[in-house]
Amino acid sequence: MAQAAASAVNRFGLGGRGDEIAVVGGDPRGWLLAQIAGDARDDSFAGLPDSGAYLDQYHDYLRQRRELRAQREAGKAEEARPAMDRRGLRRGLQRELAIRQGVAATTTRPFAERLVRFWSNHFAISIDKFQASLFAAPMEREAIRPHLIGRFADMLLAVERHPGMLVYLDNAQSIGVDSRLGAQSARRAQRNPEARKRGLNENLAREILELHTLGVDGGYAQGDVAELARAITGWSVARPADRERSRRDDAFVFRAVAHEPGARRVLGKAYPEAGEAQGEAILRDLALHPATARHLSLKLARHFVADQPSPALVERMAKAYLASGGELAALYRAMAEDDAAWSPSAGKFKSPEDFIVSALRACQLGADGDLALSLRLQAQLGQPMFQPRSPAGFGDVAADWGGPDALFKRVQAAQALAERLPASRDATPQALGVAALGPALDDETATALRRAESVQQGVALLLASPSFQWRR
Amino acid sequence: MTLDRRRFLALSGSVAMLSLLPRFALAASSTTDTRFLLVLLRGGMDGLHALQPFGDPGFAALRGAFARADGQPAAHRLDADFALHGRLEFMAQLYAGKSLLPVVAIAPPYRQRSHFEAQDCVENGTSGSGGSTGWLNRCVAGVPGSKGLAISSVLPLAMRGKAEVATWSPPMPERLDPILWQQLQLLYAADPALAATFAAIDSDVGDMAAGRGGQAGLRLPQAMASAARFMSAADGPRIGFVEDTGWDTHNNALGVLNRKFGELDAGLKAFRDGALSTWNNTVVAIVTEFGRTAAINGTGGTDHGTGGVAFLAGGAVQGGRIAGDWPGIAKAQLNDGRDLRATTDMRSLFKGVLRDHLGIADAALVDQVFPESRGTAPMTGLLRRATAA
Repeated sequence: MAQAAASAVNRFGLGGRGDEIAVVGGDPRGWLLAQIAGDARDDSFAGLPDSGAYLDQYHDYLRQRRELRAQREAGKAEEARPAMDRRGLRRGLQRELAIRQGVAATTTRPFAERLVRFWSNHFAISIDKFQASLFAAPMEREAIRPHLIGRFADMLLAVERHPGMLVYLDNAQSIGVDSRLGAQSARRAQRNPEARKRGLNENLAREILELHTLGVDGGYAQGDVAELARAITGWSVARPADRERSRRDDAFVFRAVAHEPGARRVLGKAYPEAGEAQGEAILRDLALHPATARHLSLKLARHFVADQPSPALVERMAKAYLASGGELAALYRAMAEDDAAWSPSAGKFKSPEDFIVSALRACQLGADGDLALSLRLQAQLGQPMFQPRSPAGFGDVAADWGGPDALFKRVQAAQALAERLPASRDATPQALGVAALGPALDDETATALRRAESVQQGVALLLASPSFQWRR
Repeated sequence: MTLDRRRFLALSGSVAMLSLLPRFALAASSTTDTRFLLVLLRGGMDGLHALQPFGDPGFAALRGAFARADGQPAAHRLDADFALHGRLEFMAQLYAGKSLLPVVAIAPPYRQRSHFEAQDCVENGTSGSGGSTGWLNRCVAGVPGSKGLAISSVLPLAMRGKAEVATWSPPMPERLDPILWQQLQLLYAADPALAATFAAIDSDVGDMAAGRGGQAGLRLPQAMASAARFMSAADGPRIGFVEDTGWDTHNNALGVLNRKFGELDAGLKAFRDGALSTWNNTVVAIVTEFGRTAAINGTGGTDHGTGGVAFLAGGAVQGGRIAGDWPGIAKAQLNDGRDLRATTDMRSLFKGVLRDHLGIADAALVDQVFPESRGTAPMTGLLRRATAA
């Protein structure tokens, strides 16, 4: 049973911190289930700008840049000093990243927090794209945390309407060719052949089908991609004038003038023209499609249980999801209550983020300097926060993160993190090891920890040890 | 106590683990010292913008204004029909020196439009995404005495498999407590899943970690320079892999491609400059997972298409001409009415290079390296001097 408590903490949670394994005690399932309630908003984020405020900042930045250019052209470069620049905008982002890392390092609801991160990676956007970079962290706060336990459809809609996703996957500029804007653009192009004809962009629609809902083998065709793309034309990001006019307090705007008129047909079903509601109706149906249920269940089971989870477990999870009408809580519960999720063969190799976060928790590190270092190390290990190299997100199996070079860098990172421990710390490396891993700490490692020359050396050994690389 | 890592590895006296894994002999004996580097551009490079078919009337209709837009550098004419993008200046020089061979209308056998499946297919060498090992790894296994290297912090699918392959990325600051290291060696030896990986740190990768680097993310020119440094060493890896991201241009593609083509060109030049001593025995294959739509989309970019372009570069290449069959891009000639039809299976290109450059036997190409490719003949005449047995 002690092993089950350690699994709850390490495999379903973010790694043992302090007396967490003891708190879980004899009721690991109950500990997980208690976290599938409420939502996942966290006080640590209070006071951060919402994406609307970030959007205003971004518009200010663009306006200042335009004015600056005009002044330069007028030969007044001396007077033109920007009050805001890219670096200024990036500083806000750095603050968000550090707070987020701090939450992971200290939360007492680590299963819920891990689920938040799972969905953030499922709906991956990357701060590589400057225009999307301001919205990656707010998207998690605004679209994922509030819907963590509710219906997947609500999370899906919140994400696909969020400025982060609309900008990252290019839907913000997409317009229907037969919409009023499209017709206008076509007339302009006829008068002036050099003018660009504006129109459809199918990037977001494709990734909704392939990555966010049905999965690549989910049975859709190119025609469905194009139809969904047409259905969500007009889903866009507010401009300054929209911000002043809009009664909504978020940064989403539906531009009726860009929406492709007419009924759409997706997966054989017709959706009558109804403006913004047309795309919404399609997404609600996609959320409840059996292929979506299987896709989400497989990804969750792969994240929490094993690189190759048993098909029977995945099937049971998908069934529970569909039976509940698409409730995420039912999906999580089906996994946490299934014996297969607790079998001795379950286990995961830590991703760089898992490794770094669990190290922070094991050492109870959380000062600003610790968090900044941890973000740097995480990037060097190949998993920079909110920066996957594609919309498919970071990989989630051992083969994505193993390899000698990567393992060697973990040893170096372990050493760097251990040096952050205050010298006067009275916890012994062995005690930290027991608290972090419980019975997963093997005798050989425990002996080596006891023999360490210094606390720092012992802690480096703990973090770099093979036992610490697994979520078992 | 800290110690410079290179010195530490020398002091530790560990035995190289190169013979850890068995090799299966696939090839007729290959005595020549040839090098092969695969460069994978992830995201779907716009082949019609890289190699512009201005001799095709369809190009003027679909792409004319785009290719001539403000800020576009003048393209380099190669022959009566094709021109390289203006930022591909070094590649144009290579073409003039007959060391660059563009292959038009090429694609992996996978013909859908998912990046991720298409990349898997380019890497695992099948027509689907089922395989969990890479064909480059199978090549390493098949060329006796060869070593493989991926310039990447984690092993890409193309290099995953039974044969031992190293990965390299810029090291973190080099210092390590030797006692910590010693203890870890004992602990890892007892972890069945990680023992071999940990042991491998001490061999090739350890030596490579002495190289210079800096940031976490490698840009293509730095990655190519690193590949050149390792691959041009006398006992260096003969088979290498470099990857780059950022080629998925759905939106405002002109500016992005100007920059990316500049990086690609600088990368190839960095590799040539760093590997001068082996350049004449080298083939660099630059490929991407698919092409893009022939027409420009509504946001100044293109969406996912089928046929793209591949480039072979290197002193061993029989270049200075355009290879592949051009299917045309008039409306009726397009695949699904939207993108360039692929006329060459990318595996034909790879098989031609592997057979004639690395000396891998035909039977091994079909049985091991590219299973399910029996009907796909190796391209011929790609190289100046065939080295096959």
